[in-house]
Amino acid sequence: MNAVDGSDHYNKTSDEPPPSLLTIILDTNAHAWALLAPTLPLSAAIANLLVFINAHLAFNNSNKVAIIASHTQRAEFLYPIPSEDDSRQANGSTHNGAQNGLDGDMNMTDGNEANYAATADDANHYRPFRHIQTTLLSAMSKLYKTTSPESLTPTTSIAGALTLALTYINKQSIAFSTTTSSKTNADPLLAPSDPNSIQPATLNPRILILSVSGDLAHQYIPIMNTIFACQRLTIPIDICKIAGDSVFLQQASDATHGTYIALTHPRGLLQYLMLGFLPDQSSRKYLVPPTAVGVDFRAACFCHRKVVDVGFVCSICLSIFCSPPEGAVCLTCGTYLQLGEYGGKPAVVAKRKKKRKKGADE
Amino acid sequence: MAESDDEYVQDISDEDIEAHQVTRGAGAGSRVTGQGSRGAGWEVTRTWENVVEGADGTISSTVEGLLEAGKRKRLLKDTTPLQRGIIRHLLLVLDLSNAMSDKDLRPTRYLLTLRYTINFITEFFEQNPISQLGIIGTRDGLALTISSLSGNPNDHISNIQKLHEQEPKGQPSLQNALDMARAALFHAPTHTTREVLILFGSLLSSDPGDIHATISALVSSHITVTIIGLAAQVAICLTLATRTNPSLPPSQTYNVALNEIHYRDLLMRATTPPTTPHSTTERSGVESSLLMMGFPSRIVDPSPTLCACHSRPTRGGYLCSRCSSKVCSLPTQCPACGLTLILSTHLARSYHHLFPLRNWREVTWARANESGQKVCFGCQAPFPERPASLRRQSTSGAQNHVRMSLATPRSQPHPPKAVHTSTASKDGVSESGRYECENCGRFFCIDCDVFAHEVVHNCPGCQSREGILTSGTGKGVGQTEVVVEEMTGETAS
Ligand SMILES: [Zn+2]
Ligand SMILES: [Zn+2]
Ligand SMILES: [Zn+2]
Ligand SMILES: [Zn+2]
Ligand SMILES: [Zn+2]
Ligand SMILES: [Zn+2]
Repeated sequence: MNAVDGSDHYNKTSDEPPPSLLTIILDTNAHAWALLAPTLPLSAAIANLLVFINAHLAFNNSNKVAIIASHTQRAEFLYPIPSEDDSRQANGSTHNGAQNGLDGDMNMTDGNEANYAATADDANHYRPFRHIQTTLLSAMSKLYKTTSPESLTPTTSIAGALTLALTYINKQSIAFSTTTSSKTNADPLLAPSDPNSIQPATLNPRILILSVSGDLAHQYIPIMNTIFACQRLTIPIDICKIAGDSVFLQQASDATHGTYIALTHPRGLLQYLMLGFLPDQSSRKYLVPPTAVGVDFRAACFCHRKVVDVGFVCSICLSIFCSPPEGAVCLTCGTYLQLGEYGGKPAVVAKRKKKRKKGADE
Repeated sequence: MAESDDEYVQDISDEDIEAHQVTRGAGAGSRVTGQGSRGAGWEVTRTWENVVEGADGTISSTVEGLLEAGKRKRLLKDTTPLQRGIIRHLLLVLDLSNAMSDKDLRPTRYLLTLRYTINFITEFFEQNPISQLGIIGTRDGLALTISSLSGNPNDHISNIQKLHEQEPKGQPSLQNALDMARAALFHAPTHTTREVLILFGSLLSSDPGDIHATISALVSSHITVTIIGLAAQVAICLTLATRTNPSLPPSQTYNVALNEIHYRDLLMRATTPPTTPHSTTERSGVESSLLMMGFPSRIVDPSPTLCACHSRPTRGGYLCSRCSSKVCSLPTQCPACGLTLILSTHLARSYHHLFPLRNWREVTWARANESGQKVCFGCQAPFPERPASLRRQSTSGAQNHVRMSLATPRSQPHPPKAVHTSTASKDGVSESGRYECENCGRFFCIDCDVFAHEVVHNCPGCQSREGILTSGTGKGVGQTEVVVEEMTGETAS
């Protein structure tokens, strides 16, 4: 066919479905997991998650995965982790002693870890699977070790995790498109002149959030920003709601055409993951995805972070308040607001009047 | 007509001139030729002269540098939080006259304008979901409504598509178009902006009366007019733009497109909500008020029920949060109780205009070594190591930068911004390939910098550092509070 550069393997990959990059955001809020422990301990959840990741990687040789912890106070990469740790990991897989030591620490939180330590030695264990497993487990134990008791709040920094996921996906997409198509390299000066040059994601990215905690109203604006970014880049956000309730995650999956599943039986996590979240965007076209019947579109007020269904909106900065602010001064932009009969009616009202008026003018 | 006008009059027939009062400039016979901004188009920019061979004999390093500079240039815009007119009423006036059939913009001014207008409509509603847009055309000395003021992008786009079947003809009339726009904007609520955007290809306007009277009327009804010219600068357009936007420099309100890309950039710039001066009420006529809005939830009924808006049986819909009537689509006004129903996502889409992410500053090699962050916080990509050659070359510019920044006091953990930008910036490109967020102190690569500022509008570091969530419910506003502090700090300094 294309014998110019004799790169047969390139032709072959172009026939295959594009690889998909699965970014998993794991809500590691210890508070919520402790409450869940009787039905679904964290160790079991991670074991299930690893099976799911392996299944994803087994689908296509070039499939990729990234795991980000949305911890109580910060967001952190669990896999892949920075290169200095990476080199340590490479050593760790050859000299398993150090690695087992770290895994052993996980026994504090659960009992199943002994199995992992054993399998890490197993020569029959497919290397990429083992690499992810050891990296994830050691990163998890490091994460919990560095968590101070006072930082344990019932909330989770989902906005940070989503932002990290997006920057990672962006970088991977850029890297992917430059390696696969030499065209982008050949004309580098073309890219900046294009005003909205968002790379058409040839890499099939998607985000899966395993959420256990509710109350995200504090991060309303950053979460909304990430939702719009996903919308623009057509990255679906899948939500696996294990516990808690959050209106904003529901809106996220709805706006990005992702899947939202609230688990009725958290014990069956693996089954939900395998059946609901394993197919990527291209395969989902042929499946009937689980649909959320109703979507809660309520917003959070800026003054108390209360979720409201009727709010008062500042016409200057569009801040939402649950009740008219004191002294009629907007808390966000400081503008004096006319309260009147709750405002000149917003844009949509004037429309009908105007049409009639214009008809008369013509 | 004055003799000096010859070159511009030639395509106007005498009847035209007799039938209408042809307005060209502020005074009789005065006229601005295309030497102003159009002139820049003739100058050849010698981009190839910027390309210098690197030490290894290739130009790849220079090309990468140019690429990065290009990315940064787009990025380094003013991030001062400003009040913006988020709820907008915009009338787009399209010139549909003879002049639009010129082929200086490919394929023709007319076809390009139609194509860009469609992009503009999509982008406008993307950026301003709760705003209204209307489209007016002008040809044969008349103004005609192409698409009436509404919030539905699809209506506008289909109306623009219909124009493809028509040919541009006759002379445009600015006065007629402006009068029509004024009538359409007359009932716009006081808390919204009233804007007119004119895409003007002609060099004259053929008007039935005195256009200056119309301009005065526009000023008194607080309507702002911005113009994108396609041919050359026209004095009456300049007058129009400056008189209706007294607080803005003409460079922001009247521009002539140099080429296709410039035209597109100018048009897309108009999708960003305009800033409103602080003394809003007197100046722009924008009055702030508190609007009551409902955020309804979507439902799916097991069996079809009638919607309140069209009385059509539907299964899906939204329930009014006050009276529970069912409506088909948002944003709308509840037909039963009059509450404005909107998706919170519609409002949230504009927040990045109000709370912009601050520009990140460039990082010198000295600072990079100090901090020891080896990978980009956002994407885990390793940063380039400090090249050894840089230390040896004593005369290189980069070395000077390092020296200068080393001279800044070390004891001060966060030196003032001015010091860093002045020493480290070279076209806004960081010599170390690192960009630092001043709030969280994390380093990012150029890709993450561009992505965070242009697409996500979040700083990955700030969102995921310890303590961002410590402000409990008692403390209140959380992130917004931080923004407000920044805002006041900004205005004070
Ligand atoms: Zn409140
Ligand atoms: Zn406000
Ligand atoms: Zn209806
Ligand atoms: Zn109602
Ligand atoms: Zn990066
Ligand atoms: Zn930051």
